[in-house]
Amino acid sequence: MMRFVKTATGTLAGLALVSGLALADSNDQWTPDIEAWNSPPPPAPAAVLVRDATVWTGTEDGIRESTDLLVRNGRIDRIGSGLSAPGGEVLEIDGSGLHITPGIIDGHSHAAMLGGVNEMTRISTADVRVRDVIDSESVHIYRQLAGGVTTVNLLHGSANAIGGQNAIIKFRWGEPPEALLFEGAPEGIKFALGENPKQSNWDVDEPRYPQTRHGVEQIIREKFQQAEEYRRALDEMPSGRAGRDRVAPRPDHELAAIAEILRGERDVHAHAYRADEMLALMRLAEQFDFTIKTFQHVLEGYKIAPQMAEHGAGGSTFIDWWGFKYEAIDGIGYNPALMHEAGVLTALHSDNPELARRMNLEAAKAVRYGGVDEHDALKMITAWAADQLGIGDRVGRLKEGLDADFVIWNGHPLSVQSKVEQTWVDGRRYFDRAADERMNENLEAERADLIARALDDNGDGAENGNDNNNEDTDESPGLATHLLGYSRSELDHDHFCILHEH
Amino acid sequence: MRFATVLLATFMLATGLPVQSSELRQPVPGVHALTDVRIVTGPGEVIDNGTVVIRDGVIAAVGADVAIPPDARIHTFEQDEDQDPVTLYPGLIEPYLSVDSEPDEDENGQPPPGRHELLRPDFAVDAGLWPQDRVQALRQAGFTTAVLAPDHGLLRGQGKIVNLGEGGAANNVLIAPFGQFASFADRAGNRRFPGSLMGAVALMRQTLDDARWQHQARRAWQENPAQPRPEWLEGLDALDPVMEGQTPLVFVSEDNHDSLRIAEFVSDESVDLVLVGHGKEYQRLDALAELSLLHILPVDFPEAPEVKDEDDRNVSLSELRHWDRAPDNPRLMNEAGIPFLLTTHELSNPSAIFAGLARAVERGLDPDVALAALTTGPARWLGLDDRAGQIRTGAMANLLVVNGDLFTEGPGIAQVWVDGNRFVVEAIEPPTVDPAGTWEVTLGMGEMGDMDARIVLSGPPTSMTGTMEVMGTEASFDEVRVSGERVIARLDAARLGGSGTITVRLEIDGDRARGTGSGPFGEFTVRGRRTATPDEEEGQ
Repeated sequence: MMRFVKTATGTLAGLALVSGLALADSNDQWTPDIEAWNSPPPPAPAAVLVRDATVWTGTEDGIRESTDLLVRNGRIDRIGSGLSAPGGEVLEIDGSGLHITPGIIDGHSHAAMLGGVNEMTRISTADVRVRDVIDSESVHIYRQLAGGVTTVNLLHGSANAIGGQNAIIKFRWGEPPEALLFEGAPEGIKFALGENPKQSNWDVDEPRYPQTRHGVEQIIREKFQQAEEYRRALDEMPSGRAGRDRVAPRPDHELAAIAEILRGERDVHAHAYRADEMLALMRLAEQFDFTIKTFQHVLEGYKIAPQMAEHGAGGSTFIDWWGFKYEAIDGIGYNPALMHEAGVLTALHSDNPELARRMNLEAAKAVRYGGVDEHDALKMITAWAADQLGIGDRVGRLKEGLDADFVIWNGHPLSVQSKVEQTWVDGRRYFDRAADERMNENLEAERADLIARALDDNGDGAENGNDNNNEDTDESPGLATHLLGYSRSELDHDHFCILHEH
Repeated sequence: MRFATVLLATFMLATGLPVQSSELRQPVPGVHALTDVRIVTGPGEVIDNGTVVIRDGVIAAVGADVAIPPDARIHTFEQDEDQDPVTLYPGLIEPYLSVDSEPDEDENGQPPPGRHELLRPDFAVDAGLWPQDRVQALRQAGFTTAVLAPDHGLLRGQGKIVNLGEGGAANNVLIAPFGQFASFADRAGNRRFPGSLMGAVALMRQTLDDARWQHQARRAWQENPAQPRPEWLEGLDALDPVMEGQTPLVFVSEDNHDSLRIAEFVSDESVDLVLVGHGKEYQRLDALAELSLLHILPVDFPEAPEVKDEDDRNVSLSELRHWDRAPDNPRLMNEAGIPFLLTTHELSNPSAIFAGLARAVERGLDPDVALAALTTGPARWLGLDDRAGQIRTGAMANLLVVNGDLFTEGPGIAQVWVDGNRFVVEAIEPPTVDPAGTWEVTLGMGEMGDMDARIVLSGPPTSMTGTMEVMGTEASFDEVRVSGERVIARLDAARLGGSGTITVRLEIDGDRARGTGSGPFGEFTVRGRRTATPDEEEGQ
């Protein structure tokens, strides 16, 4: 299906001058598809050498100009000047005038989940797993690759004090769900504080306990205690022959997951806006001797940044979304800068599949509001986002030995004028602007062909009937779904999100 | 003689006269020879001209050179040279016939105490859930055996393997219970857990572990009573045979994500997992081939999307592609080495399966593979390969009589035999008569003599209703159809105190009618005349 031919340096001459020009080497005709199941895996070249680019390392090496990046077998092999190509097949890319950054990591996403983002029924749904519902067909994956995103944290919604288990995935477009999972990533779980778990904006006949912020703190404490008791009962079960005739404790997947939190085996990513309840959760965690890994949204993080830094909680925030409900009125654009200055591990997230395509501009805003250093601003969507998820030893930086997840930009990555030319995951080019153009041409031709055949099949060949029954109705939102490019299930999903923000 | 006795007894029941019920259940001896006929005894196995002898519901002999017993009723199918040969096929087997098992809720919409509304592994399809309409429709389409499957919940309960004859479950059950049926698709009502797909998966995971635990905990407590007794989780013991692989877990999959999810979820090697498919398997063949699970595949290929006007062109590429590729699905599954059975599930009318199969065959599906997926394949899966799926000595006398080939868009299925009982398939034509009015008829029951009845038909010929009155008892027909000059009316015999279905077929000639009838007790003749039309009745 694929032809892979050794390419020579120089096929990309002139790219440096013209932004938006196709970057693909002309011999490589891999073309993706807009449906994942129909998208062939991109070739995995044994070696890729990008020459003479501006490399944003995400490490103490900073931003290095006129630098080469060598990838071998899906890993970053070397970064340096004047690197010599290894023997064998090498895909060489002239990077002069181009910028390379680590693949963007979005620590708060719901972009590829099926059958509901929230299991809203119970106050604790720790037994619910996002990894069971990964939507490898979600077109958001492809579109976000086009924005340079390579890894996302799929989080359960925020309807529950203790929500479901999250799933960290890589955007290996075309692969089935299991193959998207980030191998070896730490386990995690969603928590939520404030208006959502206490049902402030819900229209329910039978309210659920608790209905206050202190009630939320209380129910979490209670679940922790139950989980400790459950784990203790399991530990007390004699093993082997001695335990054979003993009635074991009934398995409880909810308490088992919560017990993992208490033993430091499961990271907490807690949705929260207000300072007071974040302080309360950190105190609670300290009583149970574990650390809250991140606060999500964390709009009032700037008020308690020193306490967060001392506790060790990361802050994963929006930069300019606030005021959408009462507990979100104290947000400020300087929040990321202030948290960072106070020593908080700070990252920017999307929580929205559209925003996720422009994460570089979120980082740029952190430069604008608070004067964060450009390289540090980029780390808020790469290195530090990776660290918050516990995967910083694999992705988020351009460093020898790390996964070859990187983005080639046609200009400064924090500029509104820059575009992603290529996005690489595991040393495979999953997005390529030239291949994308080829794909769009192919899709148009394929569509025209199928429509002609459908007309033929319907016996409507040359006719142009005067059929007036084609108006769009609520029952048949075909036109809308086509124009937006969303499938019906995704519209349902968005509807769900709008009703129950997370 | 006995036919008439039973028929009379049936009618007498309606009038309250005492009848011993054992008489109603007396088996009807039946010896038949179907001869001068082409016989497809199984996929790829053909006898060009042979005979099948049926004795008491069982195939007594089959072959090219079989002696016809003297007591057999002979059915001959000799055809002229220019006519398509008449062919016998083994009765088709429907591996997944879902029956409505929605639970009765209490007044607050709550499940029984201690139970979850979606977890009913101990539920069994009972005789009251006999899906008579679908059974008839399947039989018309050549199906003689089916798996009845409960359709509600996550763990839906146990099914039954039945033949598709008359007389409900009592006359037709082959094996019960069979299998455990499951799905991730259903949700609890009234904001009860689970309300999402991931919640449904979590609940199932917990439940299967609970079942394993209960098995273990009860055993431990039996061995060692000097410890707290484990709590009792009602219904979960029904999962033991599934966990031990003694009966299959039949999981209904909604899409490829679901198929892969289910396979990962049921990773326990000892569970015999079977998927009810969705028709898009071709999109993830490689991943599915690795699982090597038996699939029950629907044949509901989509119609060509409406794209006539520019306004229609909002149809998505994804929809267009599926329309284009869906008929390749069975062939591609076969080429990928994924074993499958075929089902009429999702088809509004089971007969539509043939149009789908004709398209699949056109796209290269081997007709013998298709036939195997409807006969020997399901028979083997159900442990019935010694008595179903083939026309052979000792098997149940389940077969169909087809004019021409079975895998055409509209095969000429003329007769379907279930357990040696013949059902004549009616080809429906547009009405050419208006039989509305009151008909005084005589039912001729051979040596037992005649019986008078009144049939009243009303409404336009395309949607008629009617009643039949016998010995002072009136009952409504469940169905009245007019086909050409013929009226076919069907009546649940329970309305007259019997069991099964009574069918009356009348040829209308002006105000005269003659024809035949049949019921669980046998056949009778009908003749009579119209004594009033609806207009006259209004004037009276």
